Amino acid sequence: MSKIKISTLILISVLILSTSIFLGPRIINPFKLTGAEKEILISIRLPRVIVAVLMGIALGASGAVLQGILRNPLADPYILGISSGAALAAALGLLSGTYLLGKFSIPLTAFIGASIVSIVVGAFGWKRGGLRPERLLLAGIGLSFLFYSILMLLISISSDESMRRALLWIFGDLSIADWSLIPYGFVFITTGLCISISRAKALNALMLGDELAHSLGFSVQRERLLLFVSVALMTSASVSLGGTIGFIGLLIPHIVRFFIGSDNRVLIPVSAICGGAFLCVADLIGKSIMPPMEIPSGIVTAIIGSPYFLYLLRKRDVISI
Amino acid sequence: MSSVYNHPILELYNVGFQYFRNKKFINNLTFSVGNGEFIGLLGANGSGKSTILKLASGILKPSDGHVKLWDKPLQSYKNKDRAKLLCYLPQLLDINVPFKVRDLVSMGLYPYSIPPGITVDEALELVGLKEKSESYIANLSGGERRRTFIAMTLLQGAGLLLLDEPLANLDIKYQIEIQRLLRELKEKKNISIIMALHDINMALQFEKVMLIKDGKVLGIGNPETVLTGNLLKEAFDVGIEIKKQDSGGPYISYENNF
Repeated sequence: MSKIKISTLILISVLILSTSIFLGPRIINPFKLTGAEKEILISIRLPRVIVAVLMGIALGASGAVLQGILRNPLADPYILGISSGAALAAALGLLSGTYLLGKFSIPLTAFIGASIVSIVVGAFGWKRGGLRPERLLLAGIGLSFLFYSILMLLISISSDESMRRALLWIFGDLSIADWSLIPYGFVFITTGLCISISRAKALNALMLGDELAHSLGFSVQRERLLLFVSVALMTSASVSLGGTIGFIGLLIPHIVRFFIGSDNRVLIPVSAICGGAFLCVADLIGKSIMPPMEIPSGIVTAIIGSPYFLYLLRKRDVISI
Repeated sequence: MSSVYNHPILELYNVGFQYFRNKKFINNLTFSVGNGEFIGLLGANGSGKSTILKLASGILKPSDGHVKLWDKPLQSYKNKDRAKLLCYLPQLLDINVPFKVRDLVSMGLYPYSIPPGITVDEALELVGLKEKSESYIANLSGGERRRTFIAMTLLQGAGLLLLDEPLANLDIKYQIEIQRLLRELKEKKNISIIMALHDINMALQFEKVMLIKDGKVLGIGNPETVLTGNLLKEAFDVGIEIKKQDSGGPYISYENNF
């Protein structure tokens, strides 16, 4: 039964991914492509779909991993302060006039910010020879508040027009997607995804508690550190590709769990695929519903996903990570 | 059952341990476990039972002395190899683990790339939970949950089980059930078991008892020689005596019956 459910979820996701490139404000017939349409597909739609898929994969997978490591169903990839660090770094970069790298400026500063915050959160979460889930969580929440308040201060005192762009980006903006960032995002996200999938058994064991994980033959601190690194890689890359997009990292793993259970060997890859497909659909709706205006994907994901999640929550008995 | 191999499979020698920034909790702890032995680790709350089991399983590292498993330092084993020989079941088991019985039990195979023989169904059969294999752990009773984790340890196939109060908070029915199951396993598979407990009645059922207080061994041996009035008073700070019933069975008499 569960194999049928997994296959169905994967099949639907693949269908969405393969058709979404042809859909949008203007529907393109793949069998009768004109030169202009080919150009639109290759230089606008395809990179945007790929960025949406990569970000969705990163958020879906890292949400599943974090909820397991922190043993907390409320955890999402942004709870560790990585997104707020990225946003603050990008804003600081813009204010200090770091335009030297052209369109790379925002993503690069965001990635540097996200990486530094990952290390700082890891350092705060480290105690007695290892990462402690409760310390990680609290350090992430504390740093998030600090960074967001500094960011708001910067925005309120700045009259710079570029801050508007930074704000848009902070709330998730896929319209800037092009081919230039995709190879970097791909490398970081697939590396993070491969690490997390390869440590899925260890994550299952960690969910039973550190002592049982040790008894089952895992080095608890090493496994937790590897999983944390995988999340930091995926989240940092995702934030720098298209800003912070809510909902996916928090709720997609829960929705997937409702269907296929909590075994991380299946949950992580399926959450990744569903996250990718879901963000693709959300972006498609966001850009098609009232063109030429675009609704940010983060808003669309929450508007479609939340009622469905609440419906499932009402229907199911067992709720847990 | 007499064991063929009489050399200790687990040896703690002059082990010392202190929790972070606290004074030394365990000092010069020395004891060993032979093949096929079933040892009751008895002591009051806070006497160090869990700490001793965690030192023996490698979860805690001793500050002095050494722990040997099959004549090799415990820390020299790779994690997976150690898990095939030694299994620790903590006292507090998370009841909110989101797994089904079958999925949780099958985690016992994690240390192996090739399953060691016993199947998930056989393990579930042994603990009497085959009909609950598709239930979620959170929906089971306390006794069933314990038995699920015991099935997982059986699947893990380790020859030495370190069980931290597996009978705590269970109805008497389940206490008897789990004890019987462990004794059967010991007989069938010649596994060695150390079980922490603080119920003296329960300790009387063991072939070998280790009585501890403040991380020190007060006595080790058969219950008649270890569970004496003096040692029990020292261990529990209450006058306790083991008396014989007319039928021959032992019973516990307290200093002040209330």
